[in-house]
Amino acid sequence: MADLNTNLAGIKSPNPFWLASAPPTNSGYQVQRAFEAGWGGAVWKTLGDPILNVSSRFAAVSFNGQRVAGFNNIELITDRPLEVNLKEIYETKKKFPNHAIIASLMVEPKQEKWHEIVKRVEDVGIDGLELNFGCPHGMAERGMGSASGQVPELVEKQTYWTKEAAKTPVIVKLTPNITDITVTAESAVRGGADAVSMINTINSLAGVDINTWNTIPHVGGKGAHGGYCGPAVKPIALNMVAECARNPLINVPISGIGGISNWQDAVEFMLMGATGVQICTAAMHHGFRIVEDMIEGLSNYLDEKGLASVNDLVGKSVARYSDWGELDLNYKIVARINKEVCINCNKCHIACEDTSHQCIDMLQDSNGRPYLRVREDDCVGCNLCSIVCPVDGAIDMVELKSDLPPMTWNERQSAIGLLRQRNTVK
Amino acid sequence: MSDYQEYLAEREQIDLLIGEGYQIEHVTENLSGAFVDFKSKKAGDMKQLHIKTADGRKYFSVILINRNR
Repeated sequence: MADLNTNLAGIKSPNPFWLASAPPTNSGYQVQRAFEAGWGGAVWKTLGDPILNVSSRFAAVSFNGQRVAGFNNIELITDRPLEVNLKEIYETKKKFPNHAIIASLMVEPKQEKWHEIVKRVEDVGIDGLELNFGCPHGMAERGMGSASGQVPELVEKQTYWTKEAAKTPVIVKLTPNITDITVTAESAVRGGADAVSMINTINSLAGVDINTWNTIPHVGGKGAHGGYCGPAVKPIALNMVAECARNPLINVPISGIGGISNWQDAVEFMLMGATGVQICTAAMHHGFRIVEDMIEGLSNYLDEKGLASVNDLVGKSVARYSDWGELDLNYKIVARINKEVCINCNKCHIACEDTSHQCIDMLQDSNGRPYLRVREDDCVGCNLCSIVCPVDGAIDMVELKSDLPPMTWNERQSAIGLLRQRNTVK
Repeated sequence: MSDYQEYLAEREQIDLLIGEGYQIEHVTENLSGAFVDFKSKKAGDMKQLHIKTADGRKYFSVILINRNR
């Protein structure tokens, strides 16, 4: 059986599955239940000056019968005194010494505030710190969370202040509510971060009730933007992890967060450079015991792949992620419809005819039976037909050998530029 | 004519010029596509092709890259 132990910047965990800082890690009772269920670590719900919350805090977006495709919340950080949280962290760590407990922190962007909370939190024996520079609602209106996480200088400075006082590894949790997350990730590294984690939630409004005209959720008829997470945000998070992983200036481990719902999602994040993952929405949807499937699935996958350790996955797909300008323009795939499997629903034809490249013909065989066929010469390999096809195996995207050598956009532009240069010299 | 047929026609024209000893002298790309000027290595005269298809633009680019190698 493969080794699932991870070590993220010195924070050891029996497996890569941590609960993210959020409602599931609000108390010792919850975190201990989570560890009993098998979670390897937990990032405690953000500590800071205890806040006041509103009632009606969560909303979910369901799509075509899939409940909680996306999740929105307007809950703030802990509303409990620091002493209460610290006592429970101490007790939990004592009971589960081999599990990782990370304290998420958020205070005003002042050196003394960071020094104070770091010292008090480290005194109870936590394994690491995570700086919450990502929470987009409520706290951001007070200059904390994503408000400070969107300012590279503040990210660097606050990380630096934390590192001045910290004895344990410091993870900087980044907001996705920024044009280029690598900018703030680089700032965190410059400030001395031992690791970065991403993503925090995305600014969102879950919906508007078309009958009452209230926002969803609403607080007595008024709403405010929340933070969006859950399966819907996974592609956004995965890209941000990958962009950081391939940036040579961000040379610290990454803790991946964002819509991870099962072991396969976790594998994807690790292949794209995450050393471990943090999960929240899936646990809120299905309970702590989902980690059992995650551990079993990951373990079986590693065994099937012949990998001795989960760490062997980390970053294996990063080199395959590049810029568009480095992709081969002469690589060609086309759609091929398997007549034996196709149910002739015509979805592929409609999609191609109306919204893509008009290359799927509706034909009849000699017995008058309808069938669909792709004109491969005209197919651009966009994948749309296979995406909309409701039957597995009915459409294959197959690679065609090109008679042209590989050529990237950058190579092409450089060749045309060279020609221009020669003409100028003449 | 499908895009593919149009590409084949463009490719044929490009191959014809290359076969006759022309080589790509200048490329102008704008909203109308690519205007590729070919110059004869022997006679020195110029001919221009208006390449409209994406595959055609890839094709003459490959020729250009190969020439630079």
